[in-house]
This record gives sequence, structure tokens and C-alpha cells, in this order.
Amino acid sequence: MSGHHPDSDAMFGSYIRVASALFGLTVLTVLAALDWVPKSWGEAGNTLHIAIGLLIAVVKAFMVFYIFMHLKFDNKFIRAFVFVPIFLFFVLTFALNVLGP
Amino acid sequence: MSSGLSLAHEPVSKVPHGKLAMWIFLASEIMFFTGFFGAFIVLRNSNLELFSHSAGELNKWLALLNTFILIGSSLTMALSILNLEKGNTGKFKLFLGLTILCGFGFLIVKTIEYSTKFGHHIFPWTNVFFSFYFLMTGFHAIHVIAGMIPMTFMFIKAFTKKGYNHPVKVETLGLYWHFVDLVWIFLFPVLYLIFPSH
Repeated sequence: MSGHHPDSDAMFGSYIRVASALFGLTVLTVLAALDWVPKSWGEAGNTLHIAIGLLIAVVKAFMVFYIFMHLKFDNKFIRAFVFVPIFLFFVLTFALNVLGP
Repeated sequence: MSSGLSLAHEPVSKVPHGKLAMWIFLASEIMFFTGFFGAFIVLRNSNLELFSHSAGELNKWLALLNTFILIGSSLTMALSILNLEKGNTGKFKLFLGLTILCGFGFLIVKTIEYSTKFGHHIFPWTNVFFSFYFLMTGFHAIHVIAGMIPMTFMFIKAFTKKGYNHPVKVETLGLYWHFVDLVWIFLFPVLYLIFPSH
């Protein structure tokens, strides 16, 4: 093992908590996508739906990266392999939404 | 080696070579899927009505079931690595077997989803939304299959006399498997949920 992982009982507890959170957040994603925003909100309602859906996905993704994929415990050097492409992903998304056609 | 440097680890990061290579590969994979997501966003914004209507044809409950299956498989994968590191080979085999079963479960649900679409005469060439739907979920399914092949190999080897005692290799495969789960975490809301009519 390359990192300094906590003992296996602590890891077991972390895995169960993260999996439970992922299941819960998945249900929340579905609930957030229901038609609860008033129609009068128009485009802002649409944007809110997208923002909430993607925000939950980002939170879930960080849980998987940090606990399941051990980024929390591994060498910090490894994090560059995640953060650089994620940064490019957000730059691309921003460019396409704001500066695009 | 006289310097005492272990060839098994990359000298700067002190990370096993295989694991480091997997992270570099996963970084390229993030960019691979970013291209699809980027193109999807552009087309979605310029064809919102078509995309909303087409997304309404998808079965989000089957996709939700698949999300649960993949999260469950990520948990069993993590537990299989944990048990192999502890030397608990019985539980390692149990959890690895469950991970493979989850992979099969995911593919069965995906097959049901695809065959229903084909039954309704919905194909990748039906419209631009379905082109992306089949492209993105298809590539994701190929990744699931690609992960299951070495996993099955490890599982079978674990039952031989010699057993399978390579925690770093299983951990490296685990990284890949969690990434497959991660891609689905984004595909689920982007393809199935976040549309005005939903």
C-alpha cells in the first residue's frame, strides 16, 4: 500500500457510511428532478434543476474519489491526475454554456 | 539496487507503478468522457425541446436501479480489497464474486432498456439525443465489460491451489471500477433527469 490508511475497521465504517450517503444522495437526485419548481420561474427553474442535479453528482463523485479510490489517504501527487482534467471539464462546461452559441 | 530504491514504486510519488499508470489512464478517461458531455451540453442547449421530449422516453426507474447496482458494486469492490489486505481470502472471494454479479446485473438491466427502445423503434439514428444516449451509455457498458474480464480472471485464480494474493493489482482494478461507477453518477442525471419537463 502506498498511503497511510486508517486501520481496516475504520475503513470498513467509512465504506459503509459513504455507500449509504451515495444511496441517499441518489434518491435525493431523483426527488430534486421532480416538478417542484413553479412554472412562473421559467428559465431560472430549469437552471436550478440542472444546478442541483449536477451539484449532488459532484458531491457523490468526490466521495467516491476520496474514500473508495483512497485519494484522501494516498500521496498528494496523485490528486493532480484528478484535479487537472476536472478543472478542464469545468472550463469546457463554462465555455460552452457562457461563451458558446 | 544499491540506492535501495524499490523498482516496484515510482520514485517521486512513491506509488506502485501499476497504480500510477491506472491514474494516468483514468485522467485520460475523464477527458474522453468530457468530450461527450461537452458536445451533449451544446446540442442540448440548442435543441432543448427535442432533448426534453426524447429524455421523457427513457425509463428513469431502470436507470435508478442501475445506479443502485453500481454503487453496491463499488462497495463490494472496496470490501473485497479490504479483506484481501487483511488476508481474509474467503470474504475477498465473496465480495469479488458479488461485484461480478452486480456487473452482470447492470448489463442485464441495460439490455432490457436497450431492447425496449429497439421495440419502440428507437435507434441511435432516430435523433441526435438518442445518438448521444446510445453512444454514452454504450461506451459506459463497454467499460463495465472491460472491468469484469480481469475481475473474473482474478476470481477464478482465487479458487486455484495457489490462490490470488496481489492486493495492489486488485486495488488498481478497483480504481478503474470505481471510475466506471463515477461516470454513471454523472450520466444518470445528465441523460435521464435534468430536463424541464421532468
